[in-house]
Amino acid sequence: MNDHLILKKDHTLSLLRRLMREHRLVAPLRNRHGDTLFAEVDDLAGVELDLEHQPQASLKPFLFPQQETMFRYRLDGEGGGYRFEPPEAGRPLLFFGVRACDLSAVLYLDVIFSRRGRDPYYFARRHDSLLISLACNQPFANCFCNSTKTGPFLEYGFDLQLTDLGDRYLVEVGRARGAELVGRWRHFFTPAEEGDRKAQYQALLESRSHFQRQVHLEQAIRRLQADEPLPEELWAGLARRCQDCGGCAYVCPTCTCFTITDQQLTATEGIRQRSWDACTFGGFTRLAGGHNPVDASRDQLRQRFLHKLLYDVREHGRPSCVGCGRCLGICFGGVDIVRFIDLVCEVRQ
Amino acid sequence: MTDNGNPYLPYPARILRVTEENSQIKSFELAFTDPERHRAFTYRPGQFVMVSVPHGGEAPISISSSPTRPGGLTLSVRKAGRLTAALHRMTAGELVGLRGPYGRPFPVDELKGRDLIFVAGGIGLAPLASVVNLCLDRRGEYGQLTLLYGSRSPADIAFGAELEGWRRAGVKCLLTVDQGGEGWTGQVGLVTTLFAQISPDPGRSSALICGPPVMFRFVAAELTRLGLSDQDIITTLERHMKCGLGVCRHCHLGPKLVCAHGPVFTLAELRGLREAELS
Ligand SMILES: Cc1cc2nc3c(=O)[nH]c(=O)nc-3n(C[C@H](O)[C@H](O)[C@H](O)COP(=O)(O)OP(=O)(O)OC[C@H]3O[C@@H](n4cnc5c(N)ncnc54)[C@H](O)[C@@H]3O)c2cc1C
Ligand code: SF4
Ligand code: SF4
Repeated sequence: MNDHLILKKDHTLSLLRRLMREHRLVAPLRNRHGDTLFAEVDDLAGVELDLEHQPQASLKPFLFPQQETMFRYRLDGEGGGYRFEPPEAGRPLLFFGVRACDLSAVLYLDVIFSRRGRDPYYFARRHDSLLISLACNQPFANCFCNSTKTGPFLEYGFDLQLTDLGDRYLVEVGRARGAELVGRWRHFFTPAEEGDRKAQYQALLESRSHFQRQVHLEQAIRRLQADEPLPEELWAGLARRCQDCGGCAYVCPTCTCFTITDQQLTATEGIRQRSWDACTFGGFTRLAGGHNPVDASRDQLRQRFLHKLLYDVREHGRPSCVGCGRCLGICFGGVDIVRFIDLVCEVRQ
Repeated sequence: MTDNGNPYLPYPARILRVTEENSQIKSFELAFTDPERHRAFTYRPGQFVMVSVPHGGEAPISISSSPTRPGGLTLSVRKAGRLTAALHRMTAGELVGLRGPYGRPFPVDELKGRDLIFVAGGIGLAPLASVVNLCLDRRGEYGQLTLLYGSRSPADIAFGAELEGWRRAGVKCLLTVDQGGEGWTGQVGLVTTLFAQISPDPGRSSALICGPPVMFRFVAAELTRLGLSDQDIITTLERHMKCGLGVCRHCHLGPKLVCAHGPVFTLAELRGLREAELS
């Protein structure tokens, strides 16, 4: 089967409506404050789909929510019982308009949440989900997926990848589920012509030439792999500027540190919750009694940067920064990952 | 036995017996309420479980009993904060939740034939007790067993009944307290002062250590001075820990995770890890 198809832009919403019968649609919407955010869509009529701007948050909250109930626990008095009841899974998700960086991040999350067996909460949402990505014809101001090799177009990982060709999308079919989708809704698609594929290639070349940032990620990784310690002052300087807000970790599509807490609801009932945490928080490693094996005043950001750029390279063969640039926009202390990469490159070997 | 397939769901376990070891430490003997689960539950010395206390959350606790002994699973717990204090208020018959066991155990098979030096400070004896009892139950398979145990004061010496039994079974037990008191005629000083009383053969000795980071640093230095290699100096680490499954990353030592790569590490494995606090 030809895995390059054409979907007319005019037909896109009706295709989505069909898919929404079985899936919960998550797509980038422009809200009344002018923000572009992924949101669950109940009815396409009342919303403004925004495929022009970079969504300010990633897909992470839909697969790994900021706070979620792991189970409800019940105590049945008189030494009777201590029972644990997990929640039921919802309808499968359909993610539409996902940028290459965010989709690459989901592939990383798949690996992280498969440690020691599949994470039941993550995979309850990820399993059966559909990912329809939108290639970036025009990178945004802080993007550097060209250096992380996670965009602006994808080669794999998507179910369908769309490339905007003006009045139509070129559709590439990725995984089996994508093939199933186009098979089932065949009348929405027509075969792509040679000219469409050329136009897509042209768009890719142009997009690649439009990155505004030069990020020397490979050079920085080589320096880190050399295993010579970085100057203490580099770490301390970053730590001094970090305000411990956790914003970089929350907004980052690949940061997954979490904490677990119980919340009592009644004398005999409560819930256990999992919530986002951040390794940059001063108390992240603090032990009962107050001792902290990580000196936050010196090493506050060390774990975040080295995990992404060194430890994951060693463990998975590639860094876990996907170059989305969100931490650049959010940090008022300027201690984003590009600052770190630049500083590492400046260190004399 | 039902397996719920969700690694985060605990299984209920009943407290069979509570032993007060000292004013800060209690030992809890536990059994899963599902008898089949209880029979099927296996573990190795050095592994830990995540313990749920009603409304109190979860904490990692080492298993201090030995798999070579029938009966319940024993956890020895120091009152250190909210959850551990709540556990200390619980009594026989009440229920906790357990999931696990987790973590890399002590290499008890590789240690066969060797003289073992156990060095513990305070609650640090809990994970080592599991190994001592296993060695005693397979007495022929191990060489000399020596325990160096440091406590804050004579009243803080925990695990009295165990110590008595180990002495009778031929374990050389050397005790010290940071501060002596009336009626104390034994050693006073840090646990390192006990090294003057032993002269291990470095070629056939391995050390198993559990205690606060400063203690580990000084003990490791003593053992190195005595000629033990970094491979033969083995410890188990305490860290903040939430999932026990290698995902939440609270217990990181830079690239390594205490829950997944440890909690048992050789000194050789910890060298060069800034978060291991070796200096
Ligand atoms: C592998 C392993 C084995 C262990 N074995 C034993 C053992 O055999 N016996 C034993 O007694 N102990 C053991 N411990 C230590 C034990 O887990 C801790 O003492 C226990 O978790 C303390 O819990 P708590 O609720 O009583 O303490 P708390 O201080 O109330 O809090 C528990 C955790 O939450 C964190 N915390 C506290 N306050 C806050 C806050 N405000 N915000 C965010 N986080 C906070 C702490 O850093 C701590 O890690 C072990 C630890 C590990 C990792
Ligand atoms: S980082 Fe790359 S894939 Fe992500 S939005 Fe920017 S250009 Fe698109
Ligand atoms: S580290 Fe920053 S640029 Fe990299 S993936 Fe996370 S938020 Fe995006």
